[in-house]
Amino acid sequence: MSSDFEAYEQDFGTLTAEITNKIGRIPKLGGEEKTQLVLNVDKQLEEVRELMEQMDLEVREIPIQSRGMYQSRLKSYKGEMEKLEKDFKRSRIAYSDEVRNELLGEDAGSSESQRAHLLDNTEKLERSSRRLEAGYQIAVETEQVGQEILANLHSDREKIQRSRERLRETDANLGKSSRILTGMLRRIIQNRVLVFVLGATILLTIILAIYFNVRGH
Amino acid sequence: MDTSGKEKEAMQLMAEADKKVKSSGSFLGGMFGGSHHKVEDACEMYARAANMFKMAKNWTAAGNAFCQGARLHMQLQNKLDSATSFVDAGNAYKKADPQEAINCINAAIDIYTDMGRFTIAAKHHITIAEVYESELVDIEKAIAHYEQAADYYKGEESNSSANKCLLKVGHYSAQLEQYPKAIEIYEQVATNTMDNPLLKYNAKEYFFKASLCHFIVDELNAKLAIEKYEEMFPAFADSRECKLLKKLLDAHEEQNCEAFTEAVKEFDSISRLDQWLTTMLLRIKKTIQGDAGDLK
Repeated sequence: MSSDFEAYEQDFGTLTAEITNKIGRIPKLGGEEKTQLVLNVDKQLEEVRELMEQMDLEVREIPIQSRGMYQSRLKSYKGEMEKLEKDFKRSRIAYSDEVRNELLGEDAGSSESQRAHLLDNTEKLERSSRRLEAGYQIAVETEQVGQEILANLHSDREKIQRSRERLRETDANLGKSSRILTGMLRRIIQNRVLVFVLGATILLTIILAIYFNVRGH
Repeated sequence: MDTSGKEKEAMQLMAEADKKVKSSGSFLGGMFGGSHHKVEDACEMYARAANMFKMAKNWTAAGNAFCQGARLHMQLQNKLDSATSFVDAGNAYKKADPQEAINCINAAIDIYTDMGRFTIAAKHHITIAEVYESELVDIEKAIAHYEQAADYYKGEESNSSANKCLLKVGHYSAQLEQYPKAIEIYEQVATNTMDNPLLKYNAKEYFFKASLCHFIVDELNAKLAIEKYEEMFPAFADSRECKLLKKLLDAHEEQNCEAFTEAVKEFDSISRLDQWLTTMLLRIKKTIQGDAGDLK
């Protein structure tokens, strides 16, 4: 009995190995070969299921004491078979890398594109930092130019203030001189009036003197 | 063709003017007060002749003519006219004979200070100092004139112009290694400008220069000075110049030449160092290297 079971186990092992192999190959192929492989794997899975049933019957005929070990083995084999079936189903609808590459173009390998992407980013960062530095330099230069302009403005301010003061002084001086000139004019007029008055008086005196002289004769 | 014609005219005028001057010295002319007219005419003719020489670009002759006119004005006691003629002479000579120019302008300055016009005198001192700076390259005399100009400006309460002159004095004294004087000047200017809202952005530059001069003399002085300045003027502490100074101090303490050079390079990459700063920093660097050499 148990030797039967072991024979079944060996068969099971070989069959599962073959199935896994074929399942691995299925996604890479396409068309005719794929359908053939799929049929093959289907058939092998059927054989595996029959093996499992026979193993089950064998285990039932074993006396209860030693049944435990065989039962656990059976359980693990069942789990493996289920897994194989799942894999098989997935492989039939899976896309392999090659089909994906065909779809997405010449991008050979994702790792390379990632590297190029990172390099691009680094370059962008470097460019931005260089631009920032240039901007800072310009700001500093602007500040210096501003300083000079402020200093110039300050000195111009003082010059303008001085000129204003001087203008006020000149204005005051001009006022004074115009007053002096009017004073001079007045004095000239006064002098002239005086001269006329004196002249008139002298003339009068001379005339009177002559008159009295003539009268006195 | 035109210029040589002008020159001939000018020479003629000069000859005439000379004759007039000589003739006015004669007996009769002086008697009848005609001499004044003659001399005035002569002055005017000298001025015209000088202008014609200027047109002909004969600067020496023009300067000469102006000088003679100025002397005549002095005789007539026209101080103002005389001074202006001397200044014209100086300007003409500047293009040909700097030394003569300086003589003429000095004479003009004497007249102006006599009359009490210190602002103009200060301006002419600056002109002379510039001539010394550029053409005759006599830095000591230039410093003397700048100082004189600054004093006059201070007397006339134009602090801005005074500061400008003082800065130049400091600049050149530091170049000539007269550090205490330079330090004093920069500190003075910086304290003056600190409060003025228009000029306070310049103050940090002056503090920086003063600290550099301190540095060359003695490192400990520099540290104390920087602390003092930071206290007086908090904005100085934030400036990049202050950070540079601190880095330089550290480098100097550790006698580390590379750190020094690196700090300087970093500062230079943002705002270029001018001639004066590079000279000072080089001197400081030499002291570091010199110390390191001694230790070996």
